[in-house]
Amino acid sequence: MRLHPLTGLAAAGSTAVITTAAGSWPLSLAVVAGALAVSAAGGTARRLLPAAAAVLVPLTLSLLMVHGLAYPEGRTVLAEWGPARVTAEGLGFALQRAVQVCAAVLALLAFSFSVSVPDLVAAMNAKGVSGRFAFVLASTLTLLPAIAAQAERIRTAQEARGLVIRRGLVHRAAAFRLQAVPLVLALVDDAGTRAAALEARGFSSSGPRTSYRTVPDSTAQRLLRAALLLAAAAAVVLRLLTSAAGG
Amino acid sequence: MSSPSLTLPSPAPAAARRRWLLEILGALAIAGTYVFLVLNQPADITGGPGSASALIALSGFLVGAILLIIAVLPSLPASTVVLIPVALVLNIVLGQFVGSTLVPFYLDAIGTVLIAVLAGPAAGAATGALSSIVWSFFNPTVLPFAAGAALIGCLAGLAARYGLFRRFYLAPVAGFATGIIGGVVSAPVAAFVFGGTSGVATGAIVSAFRSMGDTLLAAITKQALISDPMDKAIVFTVVAVLVYALPRRTRFQFPFVRRHRVLAGKTPGEGAGQDSTPAS
Amino acid sequence: MPLPTGPVLEAGIQSFTFHDGGGPVLERIGFAAAPGTLTAVLGASGSGKTTLGRLLAGWLTPGSGGTLHGYLELGGTRLDFGSGRAGADANGQHRVEPRIDPAKWGRQVGFVPQDAAAALSTVRATVAEELAFGLENAGVPRPAMVAAVARTAGLLGLTGLLDRNPARLSGGQLRRLAIGCAVISGPAVLVMDEPFASLDAAGAHELAALVRHLVASGTAVVILSQVIDGLLLAADQWLVLAAGTVAAAGDPASLGPETGLVPAGIRRVGGAAGVDRGALSTARTAPASTGNAEVPAAAGTAAVPAPPRETAGAGAALELRDVSFSYGPDARRPRNKGHWLARSRNAAQPPRQPLVLAGINLAVRPGEIVAVTGPNGAGKSTLLRHLNGLLRPTTGSVLVNSSDIAGRAAGETAAAVGLLFQHPRDQLFERTLLREVRFGLDRLAGAAAAGERAAAALAAVGLQGAAHGHPAELSASGQRLLALAIVLARRPSVIALDEPTVALDGDGLAVLDAAVRSAAAEGAAVVLVTHDLDYARTAAHRLVALDGGRLTER
Repeated sequence: MRLHPLTGLAAAGSTAVITTAAGSWPLSLAVVAGALAVSAAGGTARRLLPAAAAVLVPLTLSLLMVHGLAYPEGRTVLAEWGPARVTAEGLGFALQRAVQVCAAVLALLAFSFSVSVPDLVAAMNAKGVSGRFAFVLASTLTLLPAIAAQAERIRTAQEARGLVIRRGLVHRAAAFRLQAVPLVLALVDDAGTRAAALEARGFSSSGPRTSYRTVPDSTAQRLLRAALLLAAAAAVVLRLLTSAAGG
Repeated sequence: MSSPSLTLPSPAPAAARRRWLLEILGALAIAGTYVFLVLNQPADITGGPGSASALIALSGFLVGAILLIIAVLPSLPASTVVLIPVALVLNIVLGQFVGSTLVPFYLDAIGTVLIAVLAGPAAGAATGALSSIVWSFFNPTVLPFAAGAALIGCLAGLAARYGLFRRFYLAPVAGFATGIIGGVVSAPVAAFVFGGTSGVATGAIVSAFRSMGDTLLAAITKQALISDPMDKAIVFTVVAVLVYALPRRTRFQFPFVRRHRVLAGKTPGEGAGQDSTPAS
Repeated sequence: MPLPTGPVLEAGIQSFTFHDGGGPVLERIGFAAAPGTLTAVLGASGSGKTTLGRLLAGWLTPGSGGTLHGYLELGGTRLDFGSGRAGADANGQHRVEPRIDPAKWGRQVGFVPQDAAAALSTVRATVAEELAFGLENAGVPRPAMVAAVARTAGLLGLTGLLDRNPARLSGGQLRRLAIGCAVISGPAVLVMDEPFASLDAAGAHELAALVRHLVASGTAVVILSQVIDGLLLAADQWLVLAAGTVAAAGDPASLGPETGLVPAGIRRVGGAAGVDRGALSTARTAPASTGNAEVPAAAGTAAVPAPPRETAGAGAALELRDVSFSYGPDARRPRNKGHWLARSRNAAQPPRQPLVLAGINLAVRPGEIVAVTGPNGAGKSTLLRHLNGLLRPTTGSVLVNSSDIAGRAAGETAAAVGLLFQHPRDQLFERTLLREVRFGLDRLAGAAAAGERAAAALAAVGLQGAAHGHPAELSASGQRLLALAIVLARRPSVIALDEPTVALDGDGLAVLDAAVRSAAAEGAAVVLVTHDLDYARTAAHRLVALDGGRLTER
């Protein structure tokens, strides 16, 4: 039986929340490992890893730079160059935050790279989530490659007009204008046509809707989703209570 | 007499009231979260991992952004809803690209500001919030910034509403001011949820302030005050260039542009009795 | 044959104005379409026929889309516009303008826009779900939806594609899908905007059969077109638009070419579309089609072109030597090609054919006009993109003015080779036509000469009057002519034209032919690719056919 997309979303979301609330090294590392394992088992690791790296590498470097080089609250100084002070506390804080963010990011990415977007959209519609939100999500994902291809076509068309993009910020900025203007104009025009087409097909109708695509669901999954959400809520409440008591 | 079967009924006042309520609740959630975080920050900054502040920042800002979306999205005309995905693609593609370079800017709001100028503050706010939520499909770290992005969209729409796009040199000024507000509001998210920034260039700036002894929130707020106003000034300028390059019929198909005389030039249509535009 | 009844859709338009502060786009138009009839709304590019079509279909709603004075009547319900005061008026409390509900209107009037891709929802993952989108929104129960999808797919030949992602369809398949989305709710009226544009003979034939089927089953079909082909000759009525108003109306037989009632901007293409005209009408098309194959219809320009100067082959302005090309494994392949249909914008190559071009040899002398013909998907546009280096041959070489263009950027080669795309919208970015033509010319010709050259080029394509207008506000035909002016101003030694008959009306085509011929007379080598064999015969000195990746002289 296939996993219902909302079950996946609930699992990823509550994992991210619980990891953030718990804020413990071992749990974060376990979640990182778990997310990678799930993604590898689902065959999405090849796409997930570059996307995760694009987000997490700069973030981790930034954290190391911020807290590794300057952590005024730190006491154990490991090295010092002028104003920069490398402290054990700073490095610890940076790594700890990095692992925690990594865990949340990987859990969510493991979901978004494995979910079938059409199923998710159908499931959201069935649960009464505004059809317009599902539309924005699905349409953005469809348009991303289409608009990239359109931008490429515009670049080609302008090369054929004799445009040679030279190096340097000014030239690139000028070239950006030349390519952005027809792109935005075409996108706004196409959106106008699409809006009319959607309206004619009942996009804004207020009555009840049906769904052509069926997404299998089960009582077990429904219970699981409820349990996951409860667990996330409990983790948040627990953390807030302990911090209120301790702080 | 027209048959009711082919025409739309007049809008019901109850729907408008519900929308106002949700908008106010959303704005209150965002404002309340911000105030709470700023008041509580000294005790919490080195409070270690899993701090309650991170959870409060996450949930408060996210709930506010979602309330705004629920309020605004159903009331937008289809022509605007269809433009939102286009704006999101522009945000994501440019933001992802610029974020990967060593420039301390983001340029991830061009689409949001474009919608705000063409369709108004409510549409701009919804686009900003949706942009963060949809983008988090590839990059979950932008999710907590949904409220800040909504604020940028709303402010850009207000700037357009009050004529700051009518003169070309006012657009970057409006962007600069928007950037100050947006940066200040977003800084607690960066500080409490991530404990830093998401880019290397911005990280270096924070590091410099920290080494001078600032608290993390102060350092990140100062960094935001360096990066964000410039960033938004650039974004507003780019959007001004783009909207003025659009042909008249395309521009004036948007009721917001017509009604509030958002752009310079002779404004046609209803409400154009007082045509005293400098250009043309 | 259904019995003739009263009109199902009727319109009386005193005027329609967009909110852009311009003058009326439509004026004094009466329109009526009865069930089971075929109506052709004919007009040159920019005549207002698309605006009329959208207005009839509820895609352009009076009020939010523009100001209409007049009425629309659908299925016996009449809506009057423009007689009541707008809400802004303080003392105008008497009558509120009706606001059309596009969804309810759309269930009775289907519309297929020219760019079918823009009509898709972009949120449905398969063709079947895309077809069902409108039914979902209307709350149709699932079993009824499944039946309707199967029926519509059968009607349109989409049955084998139901599980395909709409984003991966060819242009012709997309158009069928857009038609399917419009007819799945069983509308009484179907309006189609330029449905035959850029379809080749096979695609046009299938579409014509579909239209006949819909008409026979009682639908009122309205086709907006700037070209008269076999199917439209068999229409029940014509409405000819010029400059936003009715130039002529009536039975096709009463509007023959000999009457001069149809403006020359509307081209007549006879059997060229490959449409079997027998089914709907037998008697009246036969005499009409014989005199109609001339392209363009404008008098004087259809004369056989002058032969080029005989120069030695060594002096070729453009030479292709043994050029072969295939899309590499990592090259982004254009859309997958269906088994019988055409493409809309981009070159689409058969997926399993390793070589798109196989050992092409071609030399074009200065002053010579060569037409490359072939069906859609034969690789004509791919060939054209080799001429200025946008695509590089896998083997072989391309020589311009006897020097190999390999290793030169396409932007540099562009100074010598002017390439005219089918859809020039992507190339235009300036605020006025004059700035558009002048762009980059200063560097090429010097500031003083640039202004003169730009003005002369605009005059050569008849756009001098619009020099300070916005390029995006030109009609599709005007935009192509502007792109031609941009090319002409640079005085390239090679001019390459992609499908000149697409997106150009008769007047525009006549201007293009004249301008291209005069450029050839001044020594430019011209290559044009087209699927329209009749046009190629009238426009070129020499014809070559591209098929299966090989060129053959005809």
